[in-house]
Amino acid sequence: MKFSVFQVSRKGGRDKNEDRMGYCYTSGSAIFMLADGMGGHPDGEVAAQLAVQTIATMFQNEARPELPDVQAFLNNVVRAAHRQILRYAMDRAMLDPPRTTLVVAVVQEGCVAWTHCGDSRLYLIRRGELLTRTRDHSLLEHDLLKPSALQPQAPKNRNVLFTCLGSPTKPVFAVVGPVSLQQGDRIMLCSDGLWSALKEEDIVADLSRQPVDVAVPELVEKALRLAGRKSDNVTCLAMAWETPDTFESTRGSITTDSILDGVFASTVQGGWLDPDSDDLDDDAIERSIAEINEAIRRSSLKKKT
Amino acid sequence: MSKVKPSPLPPGTLIGGYQVVRKVAAGGFGVVYQATDAEGQQVAIKEYLPASLTSREPGELAPQVAPEKLSLYRLGLKSFFEEGRSLAQISHPSVVSVMNFFRENDTVYMVMNYLEGASLQDFIIIARDLKQPKVFRESTIRSLFEEILRGLRIVHQHKMLHLDIKPANIFITDDNKAVLIDFGAAREVLSKEGNFIRPMYTPGFAAPEMYRRDSAMGPWTDIYAIGACIFACMQGFPPNEAPQRVVTDPMAQAFKRLQGIYSDNLIEVVQWCMALDPLARPQSVFALQREFNSPGERRYTRLSVGDKVRLQFDNMVTGTKKTVLKATGPSHKV
Repeated sequence: MKFSVFQVSRKGGRDKNEDRMGYCYTSGSAIFMLADGMGGHPDGEVAAQLAVQTIATMFQNEARPELPDVQAFLNNVVRAAHRQILRYAMDRAMLDPPRTTLVVAVVQEGCVAWTHCGDSRLYLIRRGELLTRTRDHSLLEHDLLKPSALQPQAPKNRNVLFTCLGSPTKPVFAVVGPVSLQQGDRIMLCSDGLWSALKEEDIVADLSRQPVDVAVPELVEKALRLAGRKSDNVTCLAMAWETPDTFESTRGSITTDSILDGVFASTVQGGWLDPDSDDLDDDAIERSIAEINEAIRRSSLKKKT
Repeated sequence: MSKVKPSPLPPGTLIGGYQVVRKVAAGGFGVVYQATDAEGQQVAIKEYLPASLTSREPGELAPQVAPEKLSLYRLGLKSFFEEGRSLAQISHPSVVSVMNFFRENDTVYMVMNYLEGASLQDFIIIARDLKQPKVFRESTIRSLFEEILRGLRIVHQHKMLHLDIKPANIFITDDNKAVLIDFGAAREVLSKEGNFIRPMYTPGFAAPEMYRRDSAMGPWTDIYAIGACIFACMQGFPPNEAPQRVVTDPMAQAFKRLQGIYSDNLIEVVQWCMALDPLARPQSVFALQREFNSPGERRYTRLSVGDKVRLQFDNMVTGTKKTVLKATGPSHKV
């Protein structure tokens, strides 16, 4: 496998970045993930991080180096991520569990398969044209805005999502693919901060015209600029598929043929959820130091006796 | 971010009642100073000062941390505490000991006993440049690692793993004691500064399971490294990296070359420690010690004529490679 990939996540005008992204690959399989923790519920960034981390771990365990069944894997990981978020909420007795959207794509044996939940999107671009993109699970995109017999009052918020990970109802999602890839195809994952600020034609044009390591940061910058000071978090991850050895590598592409079996590369960082890491305030530091000095005292006493 | 390393505290600086004498070493994680306490006793002080996350102008005391690096800085601090906590529980002559832990200048300091001497790595480099068939004498290797194993056993008893045992982390003091140093759980965090989690390991000394994060690490992981260290003491160079050994193991040849020079028992012990399958290694330091200390006549199996010819042929091929390695010797990190 040979591809180039680039990812950027920016906070925009918000207090914190609740978007999470990442990709991992083995010699035979690659996975790309993006999750957008939802506002209006607590700990959105935790939900997003949990989703990405859970999926990365499962990928690492099962891609040896290929996934035996990509469809089944995608089905499993969404459910597993959902359960992890609920478990997190349960452990802390949270009345309102944290929630996140998710979009995840697996590339293996020259094909891509994906699934999503919520309004984070996947775009598949071929020869300058949008081949397909995911439909958001929002009322707007599913044409549920018109008053109907069941719902005589038209809903006010067009962007409200009817499914996501972490909600008490099970996530609704469908696995799409496999779609076989062609040289130069681009797969782009983004949060609503990106697509809501930009025109679809522009996204497609920018991505097709330039290598991903130029297009992705440009798109993100553009979205931030257009959305202005109140910009949502903007996150974008894109990969360009290259047929092995058709011509010399464009810059910085990843060739998985050279990596050994059993080697696993990942941009997903574990351990960030450790609640103590952010709570390491002055008191916690003092406490740790006192504990260590107490331990030193005890072991030096032991030595003397 | 500027790429300039944070500057170390100048000699004479007072921190927590200790006076800095000089900077001894600087790693990615911090700076180690030689210092004296109120009674004039020598100590080593490790300052938490991750080079990639902090900056400090010459003459300043407190390091500056950029706001976007604060969470990583804190995470690293946690690991620094973890190292302190681990070492504080252990009091053994073969394990570096922590004497004090304090906070000052917006960072933290770990005070350890000051060791005078050199690392095993330095000794190996000196010894191999003498170009004798034996890098170290077998009795030297045995007594050295008996000491190290006693220390490592205590470490494992405290439910800790070192996970970076290598000649550079084995310190030989001027009064001929071997001490295990650098218990940085810290490594874990520093590897996260980049975009990728790079599993941190020292090629040649890291067991194969360290390359695959999912497999269980245990005492056998440190034992692999011990085997690799003994091998380095016999051959003068680190062993092949674990992933290189999977298909056709070049180590088989290397062990053969040591045959007749070192006793069969020692070579077998190293081979046992360095088994690729974790289950095929000694499962505890105790099991290894039992084999290592078992008295008995040392047997040496000479190479057969056929083996000798094959090795000679092989030497002609690899001979060039070896000279290159030697030429770059001192900078070649063991």
